[in-house]
Amino acid sequence: MFKIKILALFTFISFNGYTQTINWSRLQKEDSHIAGIYGGLEYSLVSGLVYGYQLKTMIPIVLLADFSMPWGEKLLDDNKTKLGASFGLVRAGNFRLTAKIQGVFRRYESDYVRMVNFGSDQSATAGYYKKKWFVAAEVGFDKAIVTNFKHAQLYKDVYPNVQDGWFDPATGGNFYYGLQTGVSFKQSDITLRLGKVVTEDFKTTPSIDFYFQVGYIFRYGAKK
Amino acid sequence: MKFNYLKLSMIIITVSILAACTKERTITDEGNLVPKTVERDASLPQIAVNGTQLHAEAFGHPDSALLLVLHGGPGADYRYLLNCTSFANNGFRVVFYDQRGSGLSKRHPKDSYSMQLMYDDLTAVIAHYKTSPTQKVFLLGHSWGAMLATAYINEYPTRINGVVLAEPGGFVWQDVLDYIEDSRSISWTSELLNDLLYMDQFLTGKESEHAILDYKYALLGIADGNKDNPTGDEGRLATWRPGAIVSKAAFDIGERDKPNWTTNLSQYNTKVLFVYSERNKAYGLAKAQKVSSAYSNVQLLKVNGAGHDMLSFPTGWNNFYPTALNYLNSLK
Repeated sequence: MFKIKILALFTFISFNGYTQTINWSRLQKEDSHIAGIYGGLEYSLVSGLVYGYQLKTMIPIVLLADFSMPWGEKLLDDNKTKLGASFGLVRAGNFRLTAKIQGVFRRYESDYVRMVNFGSDQSATAGYYKKKWFVAAEVGFDKAIVTNFKHAQLYKDVYPNVQDGWFDPATGGNFYYGLQTGVSFKQSDITLRLGKVVTEDFKTTPSIDFYFQVGYIFRYGAKK
Repeated sequence: MKFNYLKLSMIIITVSILAACTKERTITDEGNLVPKTVERDASLPQIAVNGTQLHAEAFGHPDSALLLVLHGGPGADYRYLLNCTSFANNGFRVVFYDQRGSGLSKRHPKDSYSMQLMYDDLTAVIAHYKTSPTQKVFLLGHSWGAMLATAYINEYPTRINGVVLAEPGGFVWQDVLDYIEDSRSISWTSELLNDLLYMDQFLTGKESEHAILDYKYALLGIADGNKDNPTGDEGRLATWRPGAIVSKAAFDIGERDKPNWTTNLSQYNTKVLFVYSERNKAYGLAKAQKVSSAYSNVQLLKVNGAGHDMLSFPTGWNNFYPTALNYLNSLK
């Protein structure tokens, strides 16, 4: 158990990672910043903002921060923040292998319960990257590591002895796999991600067992 | 200075998480997020029949005509139908039970379920409470419970002396699918849909981890009584604990077998009381006539001022009960 807690902390604090879909071929060393917006289906209908900062390192490393929330009448009662890094690991011509490690903080609230969760999202991407387009396959694992529950009276009417507080070990985990693609022009990328989601036992699925995301990325900071 | 802020944030998060994790709770333990079933709580009223333990209660004189109340779902429980205890004051022995894998009854693996098993459970419950061979047996089913009642009568047309059916989705699979589609019209951008879906990234469970799957299923109860819901519900239905696996299993059986529970209903000539609600936009007279036409002798009852949850709230119940009592008394 202690090991899992340490893993949770390590994942969240040390890496704090998130990666937006990037055309690694288009990303120049002088591109210090990227900013973007996206929308799509990820468990629910969501939209989000992303900002990235490219480190001046031997291998490409982009630190990114991402904030998203689902649609609905109540603003911010449900949301997700991801902080972290994406790494360009291997390059062979136009083929590239990248990895991302992310820390996740997410919040959910309904009439029955408020949940906050610390988790991690780690994935690998392999693809073919040209200056004007790219296509890649991705596989990843989104883990809900520790979750805090606070139930509303409405649920306590259903079950008066329900427990509030932190629950661990992990309360959830979903694998995802799919494709990334996009087109690039000037300082911009238009990107598309789509794929399948399965729970960690590979037998059950979330209510929406696929993801779909359209994004726009703007790169700046380069001296043209 | 900037680094110091970052360092401070890390320390706060570290301390918070370590402090928070001092007492371990798991989402898979019975009793943490959902109540224990009869398997782990001997204080609950229960019966042992047909190789399982069912959460069950009976009201009224044991020798009175039996009225078995069949809850909806599949996977709901009988808590929302407790208004039916009123029949016990009028000469009926009212029997409630949470169906196998539902409510507070014992959980079973998903691949163990079949329609025949559900028939056998019902047969066993009747046998458990029946005190004499001549004691009459009536069924009152709501939603899925009305489908189960019909499926049982279709299988055993001579065993049941009368039946009250409240808004069954259908007796043939396509009607069921149509009703599911018509009754779940929720906007993609609504808070409700978001609340139903977004939790999937917080909570997952294996098929054998009933507690967490049932809890997730319970959280879906927020849809009851929502203004976006076309079923015209008055509020959230009272429940103890839903059964996620039996719900999935029953739907999978339907998808696989595409059942038709009307093939023997021509042998059942007893009058049937078929009930539908005024406010359920996914039902209505046309649907009620279509579904009930599988029976040869039908009394239709429209319950005014109520939705699909017509048996659970005062307006619907008050408009339902007198007619239902008259119907049952006429066959007693």
